[in-house]
Amino acid sequence: MLILYLAIMKIQVFAVLKDFFDKEFELHDNITDASALRERLVQWNPAAATILSISRFAVNDEFIDNDFQFKENDTIYIIPPGSGG
Amino acid sequence: MTPSILSHQEVVDELAYISASPLDIIAMLGKSHNPRAGAIVLFSGEVRNHSNGKDVIYLEYEAQEKMASKMMEEIIAEAKNKWQLTIAVAVHRVGKVAVCESAVAVITASPHRHEAFTANRYIIDRIKHELPIWKCEYFQDGSKQWGGNCNCHNITGEVGKHVYNA
Repeated sequence: MLILYLAIMKIQVFAVLKDFFDKEFELHDNITDASALRERLVQWNPAAATILSISRFAVNDEFIDNDFQFKENDTIYIIPPGSGG
Repeated sequence: MTPSILSHQEVVDELAYISASPLDIIAMLGKSHNPRAGAIVLFSGEVRNHSNGKDVIYLEYEAQEKMASKMMEEIIAEAKNKWQLTIAVAVHRVGKVAVCESAVAVITASPHRHEAFTANRYIIDRIKHELPIWKCEYFQDGSKQWGGNCNCHNITGEVGKHVYNA
């Protein structure tokens, strides 16, 4: 039997993404990079596909690339396009 | 209040790029005089009473504050260096902001006006396009809408790449 190690990821979303997800939640999954996380969230809530496709991810208060590898207990911020000013 | 506490408070004020309380733009302007500066430009982005044909009561701003502060600091440092500004200050509100209140203020000062105007435009454009700050519009009819996202990715083909008017 294959036992997958499920890492804990803490996720925080902002602005309009709060209409689709809880503001903060934990994901227990074997996802390792930002691309996979985006796909996972789209599967979870297909209505958020468009906004997720134009949102950026950040870890440790820095934007990350799609191939960024998550570490256990990383807090991942999902940042939709800005509308400040 | 002792002078040492007062000067500490002034330092704290200088470093606050994100504010949960109303912006006192007159006080900000009052602190922005400098013997080397012949030109001071103040931009105040204020809440309009209408958006998309609807009456707006107020806006509510949300930010990823740590990232927004850090990015604001970098943008200001870059502008200050590029245009050799005497003063460059910017503050953005979070929370509820009423019609006619200032949501964002940018002050630039330089020996001559060209640099102060150009740098001010540069700073506000980058704030509006790049910072992780969002507004939600609350309308008279009881509805609300997360608003006016930056659409630059439609032109540049890449999220996080922007085009500016300045």
